[in-house]
Amino acid sequence: MVEQIIMALLNGILLGGVLALLAFGLNLIFGVVKIIHMAYGQFVMLGFYFIYFFYTAWHIPLLLSMAMGIVAMGLIGILVQLVIINPLLKAPRLNQLLALASLIIVVENLAQVIWGADYRGIPLTMPIIQFGEIFIRSSFLIAFIGAILTLGLLYLFLNRTYLGLGIRAVAQDLEMAKGVGINPNVIYYLTQATGGALTGLVAAFFIPIYTVHPHFGASFTLMAFVIVVFGGMGNLLGGFASAFIIGIATSVTAVLSSKEIADILALVLFIGMMMIRPQGLFGTES
Amino acid sequence: MQLISKFSRSGLMLLLILLIMLPFLISSSYLTHIVTLILLWSFVATAWAYMARFGMVSLGHGVFLGIGAYFPTLMFNYWGVTPWIGIFVGLVVAIVIAAILGYTCFRFGLLGDYFALVTLAVAEVSALVIMALREITGGSLGYTLRSTGRLADMQFADKRVFYFMALILLIGAMYIWRRIDKSPVRLALTAIEESEIAAASLGVSVIRYKMMITLLSAALTALGGSLYAQYVTYVSPDTIAGVGVSLSVCFKAILGGMFAVLGPFVGSAIIVSLEEYVRISLGTSFLGLSQIIFGVSLLLMIIFMPRGIMGSMSMAVAKRLNRISARH
Amino acid sequence: MLNVQDLDVFYGEFQAIDNVALKIEKGQTVIVVGPNGAGKSTLLRTIAGLLPPRRGTISFEGQRIDRMEAYHVVENGISLVPEGGRVFPHLSVLDNLKVGSYNKAARAKAQQWMKRIFELFPVLSNRKTQRAGSLSGGERQMLAIARSLMSQPRLIMLDEPSLGLAPLVVDMVFEFVLTMKQEGYTVLLVEQNANKALKVADYAYLIESGKLVFEGRSEDFDKNPYIKTAYLGI
Repeated sequence: MVEQIIMALLNGILLGGVLALLAFGLNLIFGVVKIIHMAYGQFVMLGFYFIYFFYTAWHIPLLLSMAMGIVAMGLIGILVQLVIINPLLKAPRLNQLLALASLIIVVENLAQVIWGADYRGIPLTMPIIQFGEIFIRSSFLIAFIGAILTLGLLYLFLNRTYLGLGIRAVAQDLEMAKGVGINPNVIYYLTQATGGALTGLVAAFFIPIYTVHPHFGASFTLMAFVIVVFGGMGNLLGGFASAFIIGIATSVTAVLSSKEIADILALVLFIGMMMIRPQGLFGTES
Repeated sequence: MQLISKFSRSGLMLLLILLIMLPFLISSSYLTHIVTLILLWSFVATAWAYMARFGMVSLGHGVFLGIGAYFPTLMFNYWGVTPWIGIFVGLVVAIVIAAILGYTCFRFGLLGDYFALVTLAVAEVSALVIMALREITGGSLGYTLRSTGRLADMQFADKRVFYFMALILLIGAMYIWRRIDKSPVRLALTAIEESEIAAASLGVSVIRYKMMITLLSAALTALGGSLYAQYVTYVSPDTIAGVGVSLSVCFKAILGGMFAVLGPFVGSAIIVSLEEYVRISLGTSFLGLSQIIFGVSLLLMIIFMPRGIMGSMSMAVAKRLNRISARH
Repeated sequence: MLNVQDLDVFYGEFQAIDNVALKIEKGQTVIVVGPNGAGKSTLLRTIAGLLPPRRGTISFEGQRIDRMEAYHVVENGISLVPEGGRVFPHLSVLDNLKVGSYNKAARAKAQQWMKRIFELFPVLSNRKTQRAGSLSGGERQMLAIARSLMSQPRLIMLDEPSLGLAPLVVDMVFEFVLTMKQEGYTVLLVEQNANKALKVADYAYLIESGKLVFEGRSEDFDKNPYIKTAYLGI
């Protein structure tokens, strides 16, 4: 039992890294474009299918398929901004939310019509690392390391480049950002492209871990929301920390009781947080 | 404006007469089944819009549908309790849950998109609870109502009984809508929508009025869930609880127009018919196609006609009439 | 250099600027005075491209800029220091300066300029890594001015730079305005503090309720009995 809990703890940390990446994308879009991307998890599903499609239908090498999947999702991010968000930029926030919720219907059913309702995956055998009684799947470890490296690169991008600076400026004060010479449309497209590409990357990390089906994304949308709200909406560092808290909490709970109870726990945390501390665990007022 | 209401009143009467006569005019039981579904979903969507038209957009009405569907079904199968009683148990449970949820949300001042997100999470919790209790509820495989065919168990030889039950419920829900319109509650809640502060300074108990509407909406939604379960004799978290059905109820009302009394009915009629049409003409493998059309039209709707079909139509008519009266 | 003609600006149905005309020659320091809510800030925001005018033209160095987006206006050499400075509170002082040089032309010489800015504003060089939100009001105003200089503007517009600052800091701000004048900048200054502003100005405009009611050199303002009682408190 102890070994199982330790393993759950480790898996929680490893999966927490990938969730941190997903939450980062959602948070970035919320912070910069100021929209709640309801279909974000569904984009992971779409990215998974893209990679699967490139690999099985076009026989493109797996790593190249993954790269193409990431690019494709980045382009879809731009498309979402162009077709859905731009016309609704001045509309009430609720309308934006409902529009993205209807996008869920479109995306999930598109996947169903194209690829069917069956579970699909790319069979890969990845070694299992063993320490005594404790087993770690190398696919989890690779995903974790990849996620952390990506987050590091994103941090450097945001802090060391003019475009990154532009993103941070737009997130803080849109009008003043325009006033110092930043074209917000460029920043919006860049943010959506980054957010989209991240879902593609997360999908690539998930290839050796999961199989995909049209409703695969819903739970990731919810998970990303839980993490983002927990860490404070728009707070990137808070999101990073809370990804591990949520990752460990759900992974350990799942071992102790069941997957459903773990998810319920996460959602109850989310609901409570929204009511009591909408600024998040690490956030400050305003 | 009076002209519009006169128009819509005579239109409503005509529609009502048509709906009453329909099951006797058409011999196809399939068509009656479709219209029954339309009436049922219209009823639920109308109840949903009670809240939404005053700014409380719930994405969690699947909770109340689920409670309404599962309680009488499970109580009947396990304990032999007649659904005539079970429905009221479900109703009470739904009201209690709505009271707890509503009160905490309004107390903490959750508005707009935050309210929508929280209710969405609640809907997901309801589906997860059903899955977690799979020994009792059958989990995601669903659960079939035991068949007896006895009137005392709310099972009828003639399915048209459900048609008229749904019709009566829908008319009742529309009547309540009109009553809300005429009551001072409406004025107060419109003030809420405009500005919470303004409403509070008028001495209006914001939370009390919001609660009234929420409880009413939840109770009717649970009733709709009960009737649906008794009618199709099958419940599952995908069809009658959780996020999917919550969104689909909300989208039916939005498509038709959630600010007009006929909006939810029009939206439900369009969506249910579209789904059936695609299913029949293209087969079940293309079921997703109708959903894609549905999703895309919703998107276009939210972007270009945010007040829905009925809302945009009445606005266009009002503009026309204004122009005519301005000319005289 | 800057030429504003027949300008009308609306907020919805409310007319904030009513048929205003204004001219600035290269190297001049021009001030706009007027009571609170007269439309002074609106005028600057419209020139900066943050608000679209309903009627009229704005041209800068012979080029029409009245239909330009704000970020293009900056590229063309006009920079606005808005009311209260509006620095980016969560960015460091260094990043606030860097963001000032966001436009392509300014980026190339950003390093060089940063050095000069720190010579001009030594107080900022001690606070490079500090978050702008944690600066005092005066420091924030300096940072805002420094940020706008980073875009290497030819016309700098200051919106009520002395608002809410301690008298000593106000004097410092006006000293900077003089320094900028000596450095050859063209300055458009909006102020409620007409007394101090008139001392640094080559030319002045008075706006009331969106309309231009008086214009002239500082001496003309001093001589006008209405302005004397209403704005100069003499």
